[in-house]
This record gives sequence, C-alpha cells and structure tokens, in this order.
Amino acid sequence: MRPRPLLLVLASVLALTACARRDAASTPAVTTSVEPAEERVSLYDLPSSWRDQRGATVHLDTLAGRVRVLAMVYTSCHATCPLIVADLKRVEASLTAAQRDDVGFVLVSLDPARDTPGRLAEWAAATRLDPTRWTLLNGDADAVRELAAAIGVRYQAEGPDALAHTNVITVLDADGAVVHQQLGLGAESRGTVDAVQRALR
Amino acid sequence: MRPILLALAMLPSVTGAEMVRVPAGTYRPLYGRPGDAPTVVAAFHLDRDPATRGEYLAFVRANPTWRRGAVKGVLADRRAYLADWRGDLDAGDAADLRRPVTGVSWFAARAYCAWRGKRLPTVLEWEYAAAASATRRDAARQPRFVQQLLTLYTTRPHPLPAITAAGAAGVANHYGVRGMHGLAWEWTADFNSVLVSDDSRGVGARDHDLFCASAAIGATDPANYPAFLRHALRAGLTGRAAVETLGVRCAA
Repeated sequence: MRPRPLLLVLASVLALTACARRDAASTPAVTTSVEPAEERVSLYDLPSSWRDQRGATVHLDTLAGRVRVLAMVYTSCHATCPLIVADLKRVEASLTAAQRDDVGFVLVSLDPARDTPGRLAEWAAATRLDPTRWTLLNGDADAVRELAAAIGVRYQAEGPDALAHTNVITVLDADGAVVHQQLGLGAESRGTVDAVQRALR
Repeated sequence: MRPILLALAMLPSVTGAEMVRVPAGTYRPLYGRPGDAPTVVAAFHLDRDPATRGEYLAFVRANPTWRRGAVKGVLADRRAYLADWRGDLDAGDAADLRRPVTGVSWFAARAYCAWRGKRLPTVLEWEYAAAASATRRDAARQPRFVQQLLTLYTTRPHPLPAITAAGAAGVANHYGVRGMHGLAWEWTADFNSVLVSDDSRGVGARDHDLFCASAAIGATDPANYPAFLRHALRAGLTGRAAVETLGVRCAA
C-alpha cells in the first residue's frame, strides 16, 4: 500500500486500458500483488457508515472475520459493471464449498442516490447473488468518495445517467488489509482466486 | 471575555485564516468532451494562503487521533505523514511553523479543513482559481503564464519558504490568492475523479478504449501542460498517500 507515484500512475493507465471493450483481445487484466504493509493498514478503520441491501446500518468493520472480495459498481451500469460482477461470480465458482463459507463478496454502489438498499436488494435477486455471501452497500457521497480514495478507484459523473470509473477488484484479508488488486477485467481471474486462497490459509 | 477578544483581534494576519472570494464564472476543464460548453463554476471562498505547519499543529493538538504516532494507517501512510516534523507535537521552530504544511494525506487534509469549518476545493474550483495570473482571470492559455508555471514547478524551493504578511508565499493572483503554483501541490476534494489516460492529448479512436463509459473524456487543451502535470500527480495518489511536496488549502 505504500504509494509509489510512478508505479501507481502506470497502474491506473493499465487499469483504464483494460476496462472498456470486451472484444479487444489486447486488453488483459492486470493483477497486482500487494506487499504486506510494514504496519497494520485496515480498510475497516474507515469511519464511514453504510446501509446494506436489507437496510441495516453497517460499519465496514462488520465485514471483518471473512476474506472479502470487493468492487465498486452501480446497478444501472450496463458497460462494465456486469463484467465486474461476472468476474466476482467466477471467483466464487472457483472456490470449494468449504472455502466459500469463509469468503464474502462486497459490492459498493458508486451511485448511492439511485442505488437505495431496496434497489440493491432487487438487483441482487435479479442477478442471483447468494444473500448469505454477497453484501451490497449504499453510503452517502462522502463515504463513497472515501472508500474509493482508500482503494484507488477513480470515478466521475459523465452526464446524468452515467459514471466513468476504473475497474478494480480488491481482495481483503479477514482483518481488512488489502492483499491483492485486479485492475481491469479478465476472463482470467486466476490471480484473484489465488489471492483469496492464500488469504484463507 | 474582553481580554480574549482582544487577543483574537491581535492575531497576526499570517495565521492564514483569511479567505478570498472567487467570483462565479465559466471554465473549460482540461478533460472534457470536445464541444462541451464551458463549465459554470459557482462563487466560492478559498484560503488566501496554504495551511501552515503552525495551523496544522493546532489541528493535531485538538485532534489526537491525527497525531503522527496515532493516525490509522488507512487514513495516512504513517511513514510519510508529517515525516519532516521533529515529533508528534513539534513542527519545528518559529520559521518552520509558518511554512506550508506538507506530508498530509487526503484524509488528513479533509479532516483539517472540516475542523476549520471549511472543506477541500474541488478539482474544478482549484483549477479555475489557479488559472488566474496576476492580471487576468483566465491566463491558462497565455504562453508566458504557462512558461512561468513550468519554471515555478521545476524550481520549487526546498524547504518551502515561510508565509509572511508581505507575501513570501508568492505573488497574489488576480483574485488575491497566493502561492497556488510556487509552493506545494495541493489536495482537492475529488482528486480521484478525473480519469486520465497515458496521453489523451490526441483525440483519436484509441481514447475510446481507455475509459469504462460510453464516451471518452479527452483533453480539450493540449497547450495547458502545467495542468497535465497536476492531473498526472493526482492520478498517482491514493487517499492515504502523504507526499513531502503536497499540502492543503481549504475552501468554503
């Protein structure tokens, strides 16, 4: 997590390169193994509060105790968000039944005004996300901006109905430390699966 | 009550609490879609000077969780946060206290401004105010101004000079804001908004592959190279990054 500006610039460029067109064979996902920090850095120390798809108020530290695979999306997104969710489902499918019990998937809305808890619940059902494993979070604009800033997701409103955003899949260990990030999308999510399995050990 | 009021009245103006009103106007952001109308910027207030170490020291005194030894790692890189201070509550001598504070993370800069009853400026607000030269509201396309900024960026003094009433912080721009270019880089509220590609200066089909949205956001102003530098810096940051050349100035 130590910021190395040049590397980070490179990483964001690569992430952007990888995210738009599924048909472009030249855009593989870039995965980044995150070196263990010399100090404890937990995403769950962010003070923001959220509501899940059941409408319950949650703080991020309620996610502790399981390995989590997290992405920031929004439900009215038809460009790349379905692909992110597909990547996450592929990770889910790659795990054994026993492993799956110890892993949770978290989708955080980039569009909190429209993605109310009720809307998130409907969408989760329509997308067939197993409610025992998938948590969908709605927070205010500040909470979303903070979480994005913490994990390196960049986003920007693009007109009234669209958001431009980078595609980042983040693996968190049971304590909320970032152990792996996949930048961009890929049919090949091996790096993410490996990171989840390492974090489970 | 009276002595306290008197003491407040006698605080020197170099505390930086002074704000400047930046009037409403229009601005053409560096990144936008070709043909977009200029963006309307509402009037806002901006600190005349960047926050000093002394001002930031008052913040960490009042807010122990933001002290160097106590801050959470997710909120600031603890190895770089206020790394040039002598201790948690020792920001240096009297001259040091008047230098712009640097080595603060975005989370810290935000908390600092909130504590002062202010906020961070948006990228748009910052760039709009920073486009002003000493004489013009929008000098972003003036070759001489652009050249001045590039010179300032490459000859940044180290350590940063003290901010004094006389204006060692730099020449005031058209609005009366000082040191936006000659001192530290400065945090913005939505630094992680603009999606910058490696080289968006050419508007070609390639740009459309770079963004996860229907339309590409391309650079509208290839001549504004200083703005490219600022955007490149922002693109390299996460919220916990603390950089020795990056400080904070609040808006309201």
